Amino acid sequence: MSRRRAAQEPRWVRWSLTAIGLVFLFAFLGLPLAAVFVEALAQGWSAYVAALAEPEARAAVGLSIGIALAALPLNILFGVAAAWAVAKFDFRGKSLLVTLIDLPFAVSPVVAGLIFILLFGVNGVFGAWLTAHEIKVIFAVPGMVLATLFITFPFVARELIPLMQSQGKDEEEAAISLGASGWQMFWRVTLPNIKWGLLYGVILANARALGEFGAVSVVSGHIRGETNTLPLHVEILYNEYNQVGAFAAASVLALLALLTLVAKTVVEWRMQKEMAMLNAELPPEKTA
Amino acid sequence: MSIEIRGIGKQFGSFVALDDIHLDIPTGELVALLGPSGCGKTTLLRIIAGMESPDRGEVLFAGAEATHLHARERNVGFVFQHYALFRHMSVFENVAFGLRVKPRKERPSEAEIRKRVMELLGLVQLDWLADRYPSQLSGGQRQRIALARALAVEPKVLLLDEPFGALDTKVRKELRRWLRRLHDEMHISSVFVTHDQEEALEVADRVVVMNHGRIEQIGTPDEVYSNPASPFVYEFLGNVNVFHSRVQGKWAEIGREEAEAETTTAFVRPHDIEISRHPAESALEAVVQHVHPIGPVVRVELLHGAEIVEVELSRERHEALNLLAGQPVWFRPRQVKVFGDAVAKESAKQAFLF
Amino acid sequence: MSAPHSPPRVLPGLGLGLGYALVYLSLIVLIPLGALILKSSELGLHGILDIATGERALAALRVTFGASLAAAAINGVFGLIVAWMLVRYDFPGKRLVDSLVDLPFALPTAVAGITLATLYAGNGWIGRWLEPLGLKVAYTPLGIVVALTFIGLPFVVRTLQPVIEDIEPEVEEAAATLGASRWQTFVRILFPAIFPALLTGFSLAFARALGEYGSVIFIAGNLPLVSEITPLLIISKLEQYDLLGATALAVVMLAISFVLLLAINLLQWWAANRHRGSVVEGARP
Repeated sequence: MSRRRAAQEPRWVRWSLTAIGLVFLFAFLGLPLAAVFVEALAQGWSAYVAALAEPEARAAVGLSIGIALAALPLNILFGVAAAWAVAKFDFRGKSLLVTLIDLPFAVSPVVAGLIFILLFGVNGVFGAWLTAHEIKVIFAVPGMVLATLFITFPFVARELIPLMQSQGKDEEEAAISLGASGWQMFWRVTLPNIKWGLLYGVILANARALGEFGAVSVVSGHIRGETNTLPLHVEILYNEYNQVGAFAAASVLALLALLTLVAKTVVEWRMQKEMAMLNAELPPEKTA
Repeated sequence: MSIEIRGIGKQFGSFVALDDIHLDIPTGELVALLGPSGCGKTTLLRIIAGMESPDRGEVLFAGAEATHLHARERNVGFVFQHYALFRHMSVFENVAFGLRVKPRKERPSEAEIRKRVMELLGLVQLDWLADRYPSQLSGGQRQRIALARALAVEPKVLLLDEPFGALDTKVRKELRRWLRRLHDEMHISSVFVTHDQEEALEVADRVVVMNHGRIEQIGTPDEVYSNPASPFVYEFLGNVNVFHSRVQGKWAEIGREEAEAETTTAFVRPHDIEISRHPAESALEAVVQHVHPIGPVVRVELLHGAEIVEVELSRERHEALNLLAGQPVWFRPRQVKVFGDAVAKESAKQAFLF
Repeated sequence: MSAPHSPPRVLPGLGLGLGYALVYLSLIVLIPLGALILKSSELGLHGILDIATGERALAALRVTFGASLAAAAINGVFGLIVAWMLVRYDFPGKRLVDSLVDLPFALPTAVAGITLATLYAGNGWIGRWLEPLGLKVAYTPLGIVVALTFIGLPFVVRTLQPVIEDIEPEVEEAAATLGASRWQTFVRILFPAIFPALLTGFSLAFARALGEYGSVIFIAGNLPLVSEITPLLIISKLEQYDLLGATALAVVMLAISFVLLLAINLLQWWAANRHRGSVVEGARP
């Protein structure tokens, strides 16, 4: 892409700005990313593989995936439901609802964990009842799922609301006027139209769910092999000065992060393509 | 299927979109709802389709109450202004949609669907585009696919919202004629919304002129054009060729003795004005300001007093006159339409006989 | 609204969608946050303020705010440069670099924390160059700023990018034809156009930094009164079973977050509408 000359800085300015930007990014993003893998492999492949093969590490991976799998569907359902209501209908309090959806982004992860302790902890609102019925929420998996639900709450809705608003409701109305039922309309028209946006939101939510540390840490109780997610496992090993173990686990998370970035870029690219398709200039009309 | 509209009213907040609308559309008629944007025509169309619910009044389909029917059950074909084609489905699947979502009992077999869709695509002359996606089509093609899709469910009524609004002039003209033919072949009632008077006059059996949520006039294209019921209709149907003469000033000059004349306004179409180079009886004097030859006609701007008068001449007439800017000329209207209170009407008409 | 016996809405699912959304929002977000407010009401405003203005709590708030502001400011400057570079300049590997900017969103904070701590420690890749210069980063408040800069970077860049993309080159060309130098064009034309987004990105990065926990605790050293952040103080109060103390601090943090959220919304509203008022008035019939 060639830029117009009048809207262009002198060459030395361009070069120095690019240099400053790249050095900054290298120092703050490139180096840490490289360091994770270098540290993980500091004592060779065998030490790395051994660190990951440990039962505690494997249990942590399993728990992280399990929590993400438990938390995502509910948030996806919420995202679609909220976006459907907000984008296709008018009702009072709509902008308040949209603001409230963003709320969890503004809350510190530590506070997010704390509120569930206040609800379900031993001295919490439902503490006595839960103890009486021998249900463990805090310092157990249910609490961790709840905290993850809270943290990843806005992701899907946030992606879908602007997307569905921009698509309008013509296609849905067309489907209905052609005799489609509500579900037929949703599955055949709405869902295919939002699938990339939905996937985008899910990718972001999933990354956050797998990597969440603060909120989960507060409610987990750090019981090894039981309530230890992969990020918590990293913390424990690091605090025990097990550098290789900690970074081996961290490297798995870093790989997942890279995978997320790749998936995100691919989906962004697809969405851009669809947008371009949608906004394409019509080809000149040929009349017979 | 005939459509009857009885006392329909609709408000959006404090904005009155429709106010006590009554309209009968007999079976087989092609009706145009014509008016400026915001006049309520699209809202009325959407109420007929069941996509909007009226605050008051009722809609009858074939004499039966239909106000409470869901859009799904009305059996209307709706063509959206921006086509609303399903962007992720091929042209074929778009047209097939209405058939595929039928309840299992009524759903045609795959072979029948295929046959029916290809028939429809043939009807709109686009069968060679079946595998394309909407984004790969031109505007006119999209429009015709949207029509084929609406026709697939064999609607009794076809509703079109600004069907040609987003197309360029040439395609628009072609599609207009084509829609007329299609309507005649299908034997259905059709209603289309437009803000283009030329389109309404050319295509429709009857034109419903709307303004500010009310119907100004209902009539055949010829009726509404040559016998407008209100100043609004007169002005709106004039196209660019319309010249509305705010003759108040001129009036006072000629019909000074008519006391009531000042409250009236007369309308003269630009092509209903005669120009001569020489003073004539009861003609008004003016000065030629500009001469614009525009295709088959020549538009002449005259300055009469402080007022600009637009006149349209045929090329032949213009050649005979050979007008140049700055020339003094005399003009007189051939046909005048005056609206106003009853008393004024009489005297005004008298006055304008010159 | 509609007449008593009007047909149902054309599109289905408002009841179902809105119903589910509201119930779920209440269960996951509103009721839990309500529990926090309820618990803090045991203390009263006075009690909360007493705890929040205790020596250690006040020091923690000071560190949290100071480091967050510094990090957001760093991101404001470098984020602008990075966004500008990514939109306006071409260089090899640009798409890769562009994707990498989101790394702090994708990388778990704990991983970022231990990595930054290792890098900036006295024997780390960066620390070993800084320490001889007398710059200790790891286990000092400076380390907190580094961690918060890391996590806040994408907020500024991603807020700025679309805004810079939307600037029409014609505007700059117009300025050039009117005799403005490139610098004058930037200061008078471009920067004012970018500024609201920059402020929004700054606030987002700041808001995120205030609550950040995972990436900070590994590099901070966590010395009370020196390098202890408020989220960590909440946790240590929790670990001492001081639920009320933790709640008080959490409420303070929450209140600050709310104010920031409100400010960001207002900011975005202002950015979207600041040049619109007169036009809208004029357009009205």
